[in-house]
Amino acid sequence: MLDILSFLSSWLPIFCIYAILALCLNMEVGYAGMANFGLVAFYGIGAFVAGYTSMTVFLSFYGYDYPIYSLEAIIAMGKIAEKTPWLNVSVFILSLALAFLISGLAGYLVSFPTLRVGPAFLGITILSFGEMFRVFMKHFQPTGGSYGLLGIPHPFAWVSDPLTKNTLFIVISLAILISVFVYFELLANSPYGRVLKSIREDEVASLCLGKHVPRIKAEILFVASGISGVAGALYAFYLGSVTPDMFVTAVTFEVWSMVILGGRGNNLGAILGASIFTLLSRATSILSFVFLDLLIDPNYIRWMITGVLIVVTLMYKPKGILEEGPVKTKAWKIFGENGRGQARVMAAILKAGKYLKSALYWLIGRETK
Amino acid sequence: MDSILEVKNVSKRFGGVEALRDVSLEVKRGSITGLIGPNGSGKSTLFNVITGFYKPDSGSIFFEGKRIDGLNPNEIYDMGIARTFQTPRLFGSLTTLENMMLSPKGQRGESLLRAPFRKMWINEELQIANEVGALLKEFDMDGLYKMAASDLSGGHVKIVETSKGILGRAKLILLDEPTAGVHYAVGRSLFEHIAYLRKTYNLTFFIIEHRIDLLFDYVDYVYVLHLGRLLSQGTPDEVALDPKVIEAYIGGA
Repeated sequence: MLDILSFLSSWLPIFCIYAILALCLNMEVGYAGMANFGLVAFYGIGAFVAGYTSMTVFLSFYGYDYPIYSLEAIIAMGKIAEKTPWLNVSVFILSLALAFLISGLAGYLVSFPTLRVGPAFLGITILSFGEMFRVFMKHFQPTGGSYGLLGIPHPFAWVSDPLTKNTLFIVISLAILISVFVYFELLANSPYGRVLKSIREDEVASLCLGKHVPRIKAEILFVASGISGVAGALYAFYLGSVTPDMFVTAVTFEVWSMVILGGRGNNLGAILGASIFTLLSRATSILSFVFLDLLIDPNYIRWMITGVLIVVTLMYKPKGILEEGPVKTKAWKIFGENGRGQARVMAAILKAGKYLKSALYWLIGRETK
Repeated sequence: MDSILEVKNVSKRFGGVEALRDVSLEVKRGSITGLIGPNGSGKSTLFNVITGFYKPDSGSIFFEGKRIDGLNPNEIYDMGIARTFQTPRLFGSLTTLENMMLSPKGQRGESLLRAPFRKMWINEELQIANEVGALLKEFDMDGLYKMAASDLSGGHVKIVETSKGILGRAKLILLDEPTAGVHYAVGRSLFEHIAYLRKTYNLTFFIIEHRIDLLFDYVDYVYVLHLGRLLSQGTPDEVALDPKVIEAYIGGA
């Protein structure tokens, strides 16, 4: 039997990271209607910013002056990573903050040439931006070129027990995921969320209602790209290394399929989609370890299942598993209704009454319709 | 009556096509003013120039004495000009209530920083919702508040479109063919609705319309565009008898 605990400890960090990415993409695609095909760029920027910052700070704190991608630096990092707990934690926090700011800024800057053109142009521009980023990083020597960075210090490297270490990391990731979810839920169920949806439905009509559409789109690109950067930073710290080839376009489309499957315009749906796809990838990678002599590597089957899932979703549940709900700002209270809950309770009571009535009629021997 | 909107010598070219040529007109405050003309005469272009979608090549536009040409559409809405489109452009998957609640300008909760803090905007939100509720009740539509706008009937869509501007405190509402695609009787009740709004809310309407028979029963003043130029103007009776207008519509010898 599989060990549940070790399964969870290998699944949860990846789940958290992808769920954060799916939430960000859902904000851009599901709410604001911006086809972001280059999510991976901001994710990658976050990862590289985190790796670069943490290694530079550590090496200079201990007075080494090797370039951070050199073999000497990697060996030195192995020695110093667990010496000073406070430095690990503060570098972790600093890296997350920097990853947010720099990725967010990149998203904001990308918005300038793209916001005034149509959605397709935005998608293609960001898509090529993502690919350009990867190719650029492969040739960018300060972060190690195509070898990337190795030896990024784990924020809890000073904890000797590996299970505790991993658990602490999972707790932090879950906390970040939950706060991102709460923040996005608050945004979505506010007048701001309503404006976002109006932009998705009809940009021109939204402009005609006095909404500053380009500014709002740039804001959302800033926030969502920044938080994708945080996810990237978490990924860098989790793996302890980053290479440019981890950020291929396929990552973007994996997150897209999570949003499509889970439900566009529904934050819970994004998380659900992320959990389904990360579970699937865990399951297939475990299968490939268990059954070594299969004809096809289960990891490839995973991509086939992904494709089938998307086609089936689009055919039978085009809005995703969890459908988009109304904007919950309590404005409907004006109409003397307490939302759907009350309506449902009333319907249930009426139905129960009907059954009761027919039972009574049956008891006294009269026919009912 | 003073004029609320003044268009002075506006010209607009698209490449070789002269869509508007030296057009000057004014809309009196509190009036229902009509704008008619054959297809391609530049009526919608004029609306797009007034609402900031196109910048005029020359000429100027004044709204309540302030120059507005060159402003962005959202800034022009903020000044008090609302518009509708030839094909209704409600936000399909949003409810009627949400559609109408998007109209009020400068809502506190529509800023990224304030949005997560419900306390900062909930009072304003409820106040707007109250206003929307009263308005929907006025039009006998209060049962439809949570219906998706794409499920509304054509007549209801038109009513929501023409009335949304009230919530945004618009003073002038530009309607681009309000009765296109609805039955004659619905069109007439829509014009009754417009006349009612003007009286109740002191609004000014500037209306493009092809159904001249309907339009002429309700407007105070009519402008006629033909090939980008102002062909004629006057009260409905004057315009209807103008031989130039008849020639433009029916085609002269």
